[in-house]
Amino acid sequence: MSRRILALLLVAALALSAVGLAQTKTVDYPGLGMVAGNPGGTLTLALGDTPPRFFYYGEISAISQALTMQMFDTLIDLDLETYELVPGLARDWSVSDDGTVITLHLREGVAWHDGTPFTADDVVFTFEQIVMNPEARAGDAASFIFTVDGEQRRVEFAAPDANTVVITLPAPSAAFLLFLRSFYIMPKHKLLPFSVEGGAQPADINDAWPTDVDPSEVVGTGAFRLSEYVSGQVVRLVKNWNYWRADEAGTPLPYLDGLTYLIVPGTDAQVAQFLAGNLDQLNISGGQFPDFKSRELAGAGFSVVAARALFGSPPHLAFNFDASDPELAEVFSDHEFRQAMEYAVDRMRVIDDVYNGLAEIPGTPTAPVNGAFYEDTTDLMRMYDLEAAAAALDALGLVDTNGNGVRNVSATRELEFTLTYGNDSATWTDIATIIQNDFAEIGVEVNLQGIQSSQLLGTGLSGDYEAILVALGNLPDPELRKPIWQPGGSLYYWHRSTQPAEQGERPNFDAMEDWELRIYEIFETGTTNMDAESRAENYREWQRLNAEYVPVIMIAKPGNVAAVYDHVGNYVYNLGVIPGYNPVPHYFRK
Amino acid sequence: MLVYLIRRILVMIPTLLLVSVICFAVIQLQPGSFADRYLEDPRFTAETVERLNAQLGLDKTPVEQYLIWLRGIVTRLDFGFSFFANRPVSGIIGERLVWTVVIAGITLGFAWLVAVPLGIFVALRKNGFTDAVASFVGYIGLAVPDFLVALLLIALVLAYGGTNVGGLFSAQYLGAPWSWGKFLDFLNHLWIPVLAIGTGGIAQIMRQMRANLLDVLGADYVRTAKAKGLHPRRVTYRHAVRTAINPLVSMAGLQLPELINGTIIASIVLNLPTIGPLLYTSLLNKDQYVAMTLLLFASLLLMVGNLLADLALAWVDPRIRYG
Repeated sequence: MSRRILALLLVAALALSAVGLAQTKTVDYPGLGMVAGNPGGTLTLALGDTPPRFFYYGEISAISQALTMQMFDTLIDLDLETYELVPGLARDWSVSDDGTVITLHLREGVAWHDGTPFTADDVVFTFEQIVMNPEARAGDAASFIFTVDGEQRRVEFAAPDANTVVITLPAPSAAFLLFLRSFYIMPKHKLLPFSVEGGAQPADINDAWPTDVDPSEVVGTGAFRLSEYVSGQVVRLVKNWNYWRADEAGTPLPYLDGLTYLIVPGTDAQVAQFLAGNLDQLNISGGQFPDFKSRELAGAGFSVVAARALFGSPPHLAFNFDASDPELAEVFSDHEFRQAMEYAVDRMRVIDDVYNGLAEIPGTPTAPVNGAFYEDTTDLMRMYDLEAAAAALDALGLVDTNGNGVRNVSATRELEFTLTYGNDSATWTDIATIIQNDFAEIGVEVNLQGIQSSQLLGTGLSGDYEAILVALGNLPDPELRKPIWQPGGSLYYWHRSTQPAEQGERPNFDAMEDWELRIYEIFETGTTNMDAESRAENYREWQRLNAEYVPVIMIAKPGNVAAVYDHVGNYVYNLGVIPGYNPVPHYFRK
Repeated sequence: MLVYLIRRILVMIPTLLLVSVICFAVIQLQPGSFADRYLEDPRFTAETVERLNAQLGLDKTPVEQYLIWLRGIVTRLDFGFSFFANRPVSGIIGERLVWTVVIAGITLGFAWLVAVPLGIFVALRKNGFTDAVASFVGYIGLAVPDFLVALLLIALVLAYGGTNVGGLFSAQYLGAPWSWGKFLDFLNHLWIPVLAIGTGGIAQIMRQMRANLLDVLGADYVRTAKAKGLHPRRVTYRHAVRTAINPLVSMAGLQLPELINGTIIASIVLNLPTIGPLLYTSLLNKDQYVAMTLLLFASLLLMVGNLLADLALAWVDPRIRYG
């Protein structure tokens, strides 16, 4: 070989490695037991339903989210071990001193699946034309409009050059960077025709990428790209050979050549497919654990993995402060009554019997694994003690006056109410029955009313219930769940009279009790307070207030449970129930 | 005959209208709305609910919604769109129609092929041992719901280490072009739904065939034929069986809508890409136009099935004439 060719090759190799260095990011999680994997092979996972479409912002759907997570990237990621913010498509970022200007530097050399370079224009387009489009069904326009001094102002996005994005906020927002973690960046060159900028009507954005689209149209920057969809049966993704992540040894990620998603609705069908070996991994519930564990011990070739969960929804019991029966409403609004009832909720039995031990005492309501915000309020909680419950009810004057075994609210009104729960899941049914039995022991009569689980929150918001079992999801920062936990918020369903008369107006402060006013204030300051230390301390106070005044009775925080075959390497399952929250690019076939 | 046909078809129109009104009313009476399951999502604000309802036309009164939907069907055969998939209903149903027809066709064919000869066989051995056994098995087949049979078959396959526990193909053949291997894989998956869904039908048809044939075998003309010295086999198969099979023809017409409605739970358990599970999820999700179109389609099938059965009856039975 001549010297010239050798020199040329050397230059080419250097140039290639320079590109590689500029774009790649190495992440390993030795703390989670991850090792270097060997490339190749595919894995088969389950999808619980057909995807409504391949465009993430066109429909709120866990199914399209699961696929989007593999095919698209966010600017910022969450570290799987520490839950801290780490670079994604943004290489690094800076926040101005007053907290209103965020400058993001994008990773260079990243390309869309079709080879088109990824630039700051795509980021601006994604936010301004899709996420902030109020007609996008799964967009989030409202969160990008801040009310400052009674005036509504939009968040501004700008792209001064191809690799820089500048975000200008109307007011400081403490959780904004974390908030950015949930937005997948979309390709402008493919979606422009569906946007207002491209001449379409605002609602036309929802028409992008229906399920009968040509798979090559669906381009992301993610570890996998769409290859095939067979209606109602299978979604196939194949490896993105130009993905920007690598492991510590420099081996490009993902390790897998492809992901196959079998569409299997129905838990029984999924279990059968998993046991037959047609699925490599399956999310299961604590209730299914004993069956899977005994098969594992019998040498079925898979293991059951359990982890404490950051995301996921802990169930709670809520009493309607504004129940239509005025006598009941008065009792339910009294925090001493709710404290008394808390004594009668057997959390340990729910954890042991319903979840087979794969759950923990919940926060009020922050997830115990959330180190940044969790306040351990276990000492403040009233743990199961029926005698204490009965004594507390006696002290409130709620005694059985007519000798029928049920306590009386008044001479004509028994302490009897309906508990609404989801009857399409064994978990809900079991919890409801345990509560019904224990409450009966202390002379409180509960009538169970089963409805579809998907209707629970809707029923809560309609106010048409007396007591209800609902589960609301935990997120890393309390700010992200403000509408649920701030009195007067749109999802503060147990005390609806605190909500504003008209949407967008001030909440009804007259209806709030003192502790609710304090919680309202904590959430108001929490939004703009940029000092992490004092902000976290405020949210800890909120959790103590919740434990003390019991707006709702938190029951248990279920863990994540999954079964996975032994040939899957680097399987980590600690963030949440959606497989995309797991480091799929790191998975490999042994 | 033609006049009769036209009259029957014309009668279908008001019936379908009535069915659609009732279905629409029932769907509207269901508690909750399409947006309910999104409520907890952090992205879902009160504003989004309004926009969504406006986009889907849910801000109009139910009567208006119904009339708009009806106008679409009458003027341009547009059955509305799926809220969930944001695509025309016809396309979504079309994707699943082929497999629905294939599976239902094979299942019905299997049930008839087994049940009719079996019915004749046991009728000719009335009250004998085989009759007792077949009746016993038949009653069990009638009593056990198809989804339970499906679950049992799946458990059986799992116990013997099989992998064909749902769906119609193994993962590697999904979307692949047809090949010998794919065909074998298909057959390997197909027998479970055919057996699970077909068993109930077999028992029913067999019992019917047996009863019919016994009736006919006792008839005067059969005795006359036998008295005239005709060979018993000829009497049975040429004369008795042909008459006895007539009521079954009308039964077949009634089985057409079963393609959609009858096998929903079994199809979900077996993870079949058919219309049944689609109807189930669309009803749960309040995806109203998908549910409406499917219910309308099922009633149309029932009426068409009845009409076809009547026509077939006229064709096979010389005693029946329409005019």
